[in-house]
Amino acid sequence: MKDIFLLAYRDIKERKARTSLTLMGIAVGIAAVIALMSVGYGFEQSVTGELVEMADLIFVMPGKANFGNYMELGSFNERDLKDVERIGGVKEAAAMISGMEEVEYRGEKTVMRVIGIDTRDISAIFGEVVKTGDGRDLRDNDHKACLIGHSIANDYFDEEIGVNDRINIGGSKFRVVGVLEKQGGFRSDVDSSIYITERDAKSILGNDEIAQITVRVRDIGEAELIAEEIEERIDENHKLDDFTSAMTMGSAITQLKTIFTLLQAVLVAIASISLIVASIGIMNTMLMSVMERTHEIGIMKAIGAKNRNVLSLFLLESGMVSVAGGVCGCVLGIIGANVISIGIGAAFGEAIPAILRPEVLLGGIVVAVIVGVMSGLYPARKASKMSPVEAVRYE
Amino acid sequence: MIRTEHLSKVYRMGEIEVPALRDVSLEIEEGEFLAIVGPSGSGKSTLLNMLGCLDKPTSGAVFIGGVNTALLSENELAEIRREKIGFIFQQFNLIHSLTALENVALPMFFAGVKSDARIKRAAELLAKVGLRERMHHKPSELSGGQQQRVAIARALSNNPAVIIGDEPTGNVDSETGDAIMGILEGLNRNEGRTIIVVTHDTEIAAHAPRVIRMKDGRLLEE
Ligand SMILES: Nc1ncnc2c1ncn2[C@@H]1O[C@H](COP(=O)(O)OP(=O)(O)OP(=O)(O)O)[C@@H](O)[C@H]1O
Ligand SMILES: [Mg+2]
Repeated sequence: MKDIFLLAYRDIKERKARTSLTLMGIAVGIAAVIALMSVGYGFEQSVTGELVEMADLIFVMPGKANFGNYMELGSFNERDLKDVERIGGVKEAAAMISGMEEVEYRGEKTVMRVIGIDTRDISAIFGEVVKTGDGRDLRDNDHKACLIGHSIANDYFDEEIGVNDRINIGGSKFRVVGVLEKQGGFRSDVDSSIYITERDAKSILGNDEIAQITVRVRDIGEAELIAEEIEERIDENHKLDDFTSAMTMGSAITQLKTIFTLLQAVLVAIASISLIVASIGIMNTMLMSVMERTHEIGIMKAIGAKNRNVLSLFLLESGMVSVAGGVCGCVLGIIGANVISIGIGAAFGEAIPAILRPEVLLGGIVVAVIVGVMSGLYPARKASKMSPVEAVRYE
Repeated sequence: MIRTEHLSKVYRMGEIEVPALRDVSLEIEEGEFLAIVGPSGSGKSTLLNMLGCLDKPTSGAVFIGGVNTALLSENELAEIRREKIGFIFQQFNLIHSLTALENVALPMFFAGVKSDARIKRAAELLAKVGLRERMHHKPSELSGGQQQRVAIARALSNNPAVIIGDEPTGNVDSETGDAIMGILEGLNRNEGRTIIVVTHDTEIAAHAPRVIRMKDGRLLEE
């Protein structure tokens, strides 16, 4: 067995340049698939990982929400909130009154989302993950005080806004009591929102319509059931069907994962094209090698080689090239994944880790071998089927 | 040992049919030394290829050790080529990337002989044909006569009863040719192997006790 490896190895070595080009072809194909999958996993994790921390949340909105689009059908009222709070398994429910308001800071004006919250509900809305960076949380007895998102503090106005600065919201002066930590990702809307007390919101926005209720459940396992019950209760209050949509974070995560799986599949399909090209490369190299060695094949058969001796020699050759290609592909893929990850980090300021799963690397090598053997099969069969006299005669 | 019955071979080149062998019936006894002579194109190589199971006849049959080779599968034919027959070519036909030793060991590799045993026997055979000093040379580093001796050693590697040579002396000078015929004679006389050689050279044919003449694909009277 060892000897046939040596024989195949010697044949490969005789054609160094061509073999290494073929090998690179496979390596690049495998590397592309591995890099894309690893970055894809990293992307998925950085998004869903953040969501998993909020898995006990249910977002209740008046309207049809589906990923990507949301159609607001109206708003909730105090009674809805009270009803939601009374549902078993609900730990806390927080209402948000929100609206777009003109905000002015040192002469600059923009329109921004202003959200009124009951200060006792801060943890229900923000969960454990949103922390006040500078300053403090909003308090119930605060008057004309606000908490601002990271982007508002740093990006929206030419001059940065800090704790104790004053901004003008809807014509009233507010004092900034705290700046929230940067969220980014799925919760980037927090970064560009201004939070004020419910009382202030009612007077500034001029209404007390509730735009969203955030519910925190005791047991994540019950979230779906509770969400359904919330929808029923509020729909009943408003005598409407399908008015309320209560989305659990869990289902959002599932939806996102589906999207990522799809995305991965598309990326891998694209990367696979290079694998197909690589396999044509192997086939070509092997066919040329078979052609060149027709005479040699004839000699081997004349001195007693069986078809399968010849077949295994050529298959082994393409197999060895493709294993080497697969291993190089893994190395390139690891490097590539990290380069892409660092590149994304540099370009978008959002670090996406490259997650290199051992099964993906192993899969890469397995795929390389399959591709190699499959594309080596035809040339090898061709070689093995040659007639000994004709092959020997061939020069 | 080897018998042919009404063997014929027709090569088809597009529309044209070239009859290379016509109704050749021949019997070769075990331990015989047979030379086949005849003008170029008379079908000598074609006949040898049939005898060596390298090619299949258009009609008629080749019997080796009583077995009709027309009934054998490709694998069984390969086994016959490997175990029963040693073929020597005019062009030596060694594998260029392998050393003399590896070339000689190759038929044993296909026969599944263990590496150690293979190397040992290959070295012995090379010593026997006088190439003890050249075992690790590649064919390109050997003279024509030396390459043909490697080919003879290779033909012997699985200890076949029959050695078939298609103008084994055709590509070497006459002195070397004599030496090669000497080796073949030794294999016949001392080891009782059946030897069948095609040659152009009447002097070479004179080594053989039995000479067959061919013309236009037919056997002439002996
Ligand atoms: N593969 C082939 N295709 C077509 N015709 C062939 C083929 N091989 C041999 N022939 C023809 O068959 C006839 C016999 O050829 P063969 O090679 O057996 O002659 P030979 O006696 O060995 O000649 P030489 O002494 O020149 O080697 C020739 O006419 C040749 O042209
Ligand atoms: Mg000839």
